[in-house]
Amino acid sequence: MRSPFCICRSLVLATAAMLALGIAAGAQTAPQGSMKAAPAAPHDLSGVWTLHMPASARSYIGDTYTKEEPAMTPWGEAQYQATKPSNGPRTHTLDQTDDPVLRSCLPPGVPRIYLQPFPMQIAQTANEVIMLFEYDHTVRHIYTDMAKHPDDLSPTYMGHSIGHWDGDTLVVDTVGFSDTTWLDRTGHRHSDQLHVVESFHRTDANTLQIDLKIEDPKALAKPWTSQLIYQLKPDWKILEQNCADNGSFANFEK
Amino acid sequence: MKARLLAFLAIAVLAVTGTAFAHHGAAAYDMGKSVTIKGVVTNFDFINPHVLITVESKGDDGTVQKWQGELTSPNHLARAGWTKSTIKVGDTITIMGAGAKSGAPTVWIRKILGANGDEIKMGGGGDN
Repeated sequence: MRSPFCICRSLVLATAAMLALGIAAGAQTAPQGSMKAAPAAPHDLSGVWTLHMPASARSYIGDTYTKEEPAMTPWGEAQYQATKPSNGPRTHTLDQTDDPVLRSCLPPGVPRIYLQPFPMQIAQTANEVIMLFEYDHTVRHIYTDMAKHPDDLSPTYMGHSIGHWDGDTLVVDTVGFSDTTWLDRTGHRHSDQLHVVESFHRTDANTLQIDLKIEDPKALAKPWTSQLIYQLKPDWKILEQNCADNGSFANFEK
Repeated sequence: MKARLLAFLAIAVLAVTGTAFAHHGAAAYDMGKSVTIKGVVTNFDFINPHVLITVESKGDDGTVQKWQGELTSPNHLARAGWTKSTIKVGDTITIMGAGAKSGAPTVWIRKILGANGDEIKMGGGGDN
């Protein structure tokens, strides 16, 4: 017959083994980012992505790209002072704001679409990278079969985007903007000379890094740069979200 | 298992506190004005742009006051496991959050407790 000590030791070992397995299993199914993920297939940016910034960015990333104000030209500064945003430090109520997105449901434009707090999906075809944003079903087409932008572009809210692969990084160049959109949610404006350059790099299967460079010689004294980090959400689907529904809650807040 | 639970709670806290006003600015609410209302749900709109809950609470003098609570987009709550049936008309709940600057009986909800006092979790569904 086994001694009580022997049985007890077996139980302790069995429990320890179970705990170890449980912890190991937990670690393997832990949220993405806690263990090094597999590398992604080259040139594959596809999936549903949500903005997932480090804690140091959370104080400003809901509204703008950097903690510091961008360097603006006198024109850019005057435009900024005249706006009445709802977000950021100079907050106005919904019936007082002149934010074109909140006031009139105009498209957010680029790069502001990244600040609208909903996920996005990237789908790829032979000659396009298509970004499907949940916010107001906004779409960006990035043409990967064009060496340059067409001449004489008509201005659009989202601009005209072309992209090419530089190794494993997709470099996207966007011009052809109308000047109606805001650069961000705190009221920084831009002119029709806005030029946005983005570099998309899937650093591992679960992480997409977008380096952003905003240039506008009329509004910005020097390029405004930032970095956005996105996390893959394999279980999420892009849902319906319509800016037009906001009419109902603007009344609620009066 | 424990690591996953801790991570979920951390994400839940960050998701709620970090994105309370991500959709638009906070001008209508006083973030320092803490409001707690316990009552019966008379309306639950699980619709965009923001989920709205109407709660009727009875004061000490017997008068019934109608409170309207505002939450984030149903899209985020759906990804945190909510459906249009998560809260039902007739449920007794406690809503806690920031009161309106105007003094109107509206609340930006930060936390909801069910009839048994357990929290009805809102986080984890992302926002930013």
